[in-house]
Amino acid sequence: MNIEPTMNPEAEPETQSLIGRRSFVVGATAVGATALGLLAGSPAAVAATKKTTKKAPAKTSGTITLQSNNADDKSKSGMEALVAGFNAKKIGTVKLNTVAGELFRTQLTQYLTSSKPPEVLTWLAGKASQNYADQGLLLDLSDVWASPEMAGYSSALKGLSTASTGKQIFLPYYYYWCGVYYRPSKFAEWGVKPPKTWDEYKALCKTVQDKGVTPIGLGLSDTPWVASFWFDYLNLRVNGAKFHRDVLSGKKSFDSPEVKAVFAKWSEVLPYMDKQAKGLGFAEAQTKFYKGETATYVAGNWWALGAPKDVGDDIDFFQFPIIDPKVRVAEEAPADGFFASAKGKNTALTKAFMRYLATPEAQELYLTTSGNSSIPASPKAKAAVTVQNTKGKAMLEAADDLTQFFNRDGGDELQPTADAALLKFMDKPADINSILTEWQAAAVSARRV
Amino acid sequence: MSVSVRHRQRKVDSLPPTVAAFILVPFLLEALVVFAPAVQGVFLAFTEWSGVGSPKPVGLQNFRELTDDPIFIIGFKNTVRWLVVFGGMSGLLGLSLALLLKVQRRGVAVYRSLIFLPVIFSLVVTALVWRVLYAPEGLFNNALEAVGLGSWGRIWLAEPKTVLYALVVASLWRSAGYIMVLYLAGLKSIDPALTEAARVDGANRLQTFQHITMPQLRGVNSVVLSVIVIDALRSFDIVFALTKGGPYNSSQLLSTYMFQTAFSTGRLGYASAIAMIIFLLAISFIVIYLVRALREEAR
Repeated sequence: MNIEPTMNPEAEPETQSLIGRRSFVVGATAVGATALGLLAGSPAAVAATKKTTKKAPAKTSGTITLQSNNADDKSKSGMEALVAGFNAKKIGTVKLNTVAGELFRTQLTQYLTSSKPPEVLTWLAGKASQNYADQGLLLDLSDVWASPEMAGYSSALKGLSTASTGKQIFLPYYYYWCGVYYRPSKFAEWGVKPPKTWDEYKALCKTVQDKGVTPIGLGLSDTPWVASFWFDYLNLRVNGAKFHRDVLSGKKSFDSPEVKAVFAKWSEVLPYMDKQAKGLGFAEAQTKFYKGETATYVAGNWWALGAPKDVGDDIDFFQFPIIDPKVRVAEEAPADGFFASAKGKNTALTKAFMRYLATPEAQELYLTTSGNSSIPASPKAKAAVTVQNTKGKAMLEAADDLTQFFNRDGGDELQPTADAALLKFMDKPADINSILTEWQAAAVSARRV
Repeated sequence: MSVSVRHRQRKVDSLPPTVAAFILVPFLLEALVVFAPAVQGVFLAFTEWSGVGSPKPVGLQNFRELTDDPIFIIGFKNTVRWLVVFGGMSGLLGLSLALLLKVQRRGVAVYRSLIFLPVIFSLVVTALVWRVLYAPEGLFNNALEAVGLGSWGRIWLAEPKTVLYALVVASLWRSAGYIMVLYLAGLKSIDPALTEAARVDGANRLQTFQHITMPQLRGVNSVVLSVIVIDALRSFDIVFALTKGGPYNSSQLLSTYMFQTAFSTGRLGYASAIAMIIFLLAISFIVIYLVRALREEAR
């Protein structure tokens, strides 16, 4: 569970990981309810039990509000269980207020700057939260981090939760992995095995295509950001995590030869990608994958959660193929959690609630109730165990470095520039030079914010 | 004179409190939730603001930046295209449908209702319907396939060349019905004696239309024009729901780009500058029209 060694300790907090709001956004429409819950954040907990209560600062009473963007049914029931678990301890009341993901994202700034903000809110680790902390909108949670409940949290997660002031302002409660999803029964039917290397992957694509199946599924009409998985992973495999962060933070340019090399690799599999991708919505692409019309799909762990009953456990993932063995292996591992508003009225109760959220019991309660396969942030918590999350966790632990996702590492303002460039590349791969020049210009202007 | 002053005063004094409240309360509400933000928007257009902290005044920089922002230029061109194609087609279709369905015959009411039906749907619902029709294996492509024109099929909403027109068609589906109703009302108000007289004088259908119907519809035309211009410039929902301005900004309108700049990129000052441009576009169309209409009236 300790993901610490895998993260790059030297990376500046800014580049290290920015969780963006975009996934949400996108999440809302795109990923749909299930995924939203995941992308968004949720907590954990129940059992927080008496231990916590006793240790909580003496006077806690009153009512605080938890504003949650976990709006799909499963995640919402998880949040309800979590809040009920805390309220049962009778040290104060938490009111749950659930807002749909897209609305939540666009209104977050208003929530935080209003005169009576919700005390606790769900959000993403990294830059997405650090940005708000820089504006003085978030409550300092350093003493929550120093509490016994948080002993043993990895320093990577701590880094993602620390603002430029050096204070912790975020409480992570789970993180998840990304990979190439496939259906084992279909692979058996087509006589192929999960590949390890790029060449093996291309060979697989060829075999599958010859059988009349689209090797690589993708749905971009309502969720163009999904294409960024491909950019992220190809860049990580071709140029490594450090270069990836540098290009996202603006230290390197999108029209550099290194980035061109990324698209050269992409061109090799472009003919295997679903030609209809740009006309398919997230859900339609998911359906094609479940029906076995597309063979593989690069996505986060939430991809498996929307599976219909008849697909059941017949869904698995493999690590994104290695392209250059000399490049240190990096994986994407986005983390979600909570922060508190600086203007909240009841700090004592807010912090008591945060400590409750940090307990393994609370995190297990949430993940179990909501059927979420992510990995809890508390090192003592057991994930709602599935074969996959054992495998996902092992993959993240074995990685040399971790990144989060395009918008989380590069900032939300950069996501539309990537969506435009990547889609255009898929349409007109021959124009790559001018596409990258345009992308670089658009990125420079977006970063001016 | 003193009498008249007193008289006037009494009038003011005697404004019943209920009436005053009916005037003042909506006015204050309007001022608070409409005028104030509108004025603030104008002010924001001259600042750089992320939504937090205080806006930083930057003078005309936002507007200067607009002039060489490629996406803004696409959005501007598309908005003008939208105004012309969507506006023109709505008017034409609405008028043709009204002329076709103005007759009182059995069953006509059913057709009218059917054509008006899309108006009552939320545009987002409309968008969902069209998404299905435009899907890669949707009704349109399948129909083309069925008649042997499969090669004409395309991914309608993701082809930069067709996407804007595909969106216009989806919007027309709704606006044609609305304009039709406006014209039907206008046609009803034409005195049948006029058409009758024209017929007696030997005018053919075209002549009747040109010299009797159209001049009588002048009042309706001005309403239709304002409705169309305003509708075209605020078109947002259907584009946002179907393509969000994509693929790669090829269906971006000023309204969708404004939304993206404000809420995805977080540049509220820059977005306000775009909003100003939309406002100026709308107001200039409407002012030009009003001036013309007033002049004609004076004549």
